[in-house]
Amino acid sequence: MEHYILLFISAALVSNVVLMRFLGLCSFMGVTTRVDTALGMGASTTFCITISAMIDWGIEYYLLEPYGLGYLRTVTFILVIAAAVQFTEATVRKVSPTMFQLLGIYLPLITTNCAVLGVNLLLVEGHMNFIESTLFALASSLGYSLVMVLFAGLRERLALADVPRLFAGPPIGFITASLLALAFMGFSGMSTN
Amino acid sequence: MQAPGSTLPSPDDRELVEGFARVVAVEPGRVWLEPEQTSSCGGCHSAGLCGVGSRNPKRLELRRFALGGDLGLQMGERVVVGIPETSLSRGALVAFGVPLVFLAAGGIAGQEFGRSDGLAFVGAVVGLAVGLLVSRVLASVMTARGQLTPRFLRRAYQPAQGASCSPDQG
Repeated sequence: MEHYILLFISAALVSNVVLMRFLGLCSFMGVTTRVDTALGMGASTTFCITISAMIDWGIEYYLLEPYGLGYLRTVTFILVIAAAVQFTEATVRKVSPTMFQLLGIYLPLITTNCAVLGVNLLLVEGHMNFIESTLFALASSLGYSLVMVLFAGLRERLALADVPRLFAGPPIGFITASLLALAFMGFSGMSTN
Repeated sequence: MQAPGSTLPSPDDRELVEGFARVVAVEPGRVWLEPEQTSSCGGCHSAGLCGVGSRNPKRLELRRFALGGDLGLQMGERVVVGIPETSLSRGALVAFGVPLVFLAAGGIAGQEFGRSDGLAFVGAVVGLAVGLLVSRVLASVMTARGQLTPRFLRRAYQPAQGASCSPDQG
């Protein structure tokens, strides 16, 4: 169990997908104007990344690797991600049509989110077993959601702050993001323990 | 305290997430609304490529919802609707968080007991299915309590005929 906890912390904080690997920056800047939208986007992305990682693990180890089809990896993973988004959409609609009305707007954004593809490709490099890759994907996406919500909270406060005109809008957003990335660098020492 | 299923704003709602909707059908005792195309994304020059900028009528049709009660709304009228911020975050956790917790628990149980990837996969899939069932039950409880029902807040600002601009003001 300790192994899983360490894997979880490492994927979510030490190797944070946004602030350490610089993936998913489009949604990081675009969807973080409010905490509630950031949370909705984070939750739906977490679900899609985990589901697509499960399927991609099977495809990689039972199809692509044994038959030497590694050159089809990116195309195959993109197709799986698109299918996972459709599956998520259908599932949410089935679970609760009301929730689909509330959360359905985030799903089209996930298809083109490079963090989803990035996490799936990182899993291949890691040569992990099924449960490790699923937990790594879950933890990575939870790390993504955490950063999204943190950054959205900061931006909500920045919207009320008296920012010099030259820095207003995206510039102060990028400066804040860089400070947040510096703060997350503090977790890097944990990986050696 | 408000009656379950009420679509009127409650004084208990401290913060509401507001959105615009258009009346698409009026029936006795309820109206059907279609949310206006909004995007959680701020948009960029590539908005047309990721589908955020495109207006897909079929997608909007799927997101139609009904508001009960005599609200006195007319066809085509724009209104402002709201939902408590806590409901949105709770809804996201129920819809996505609960199935993922069960998925991870099932996968770990499969791996620990069976010591094979096959059993871990089966455990994860079974966990996901159970999680989705639990999520469905929780969602129906929230819907029955009216926690996920948007509330009618007010009529949206209608620009005068011939006005040169139409600001999206509530």
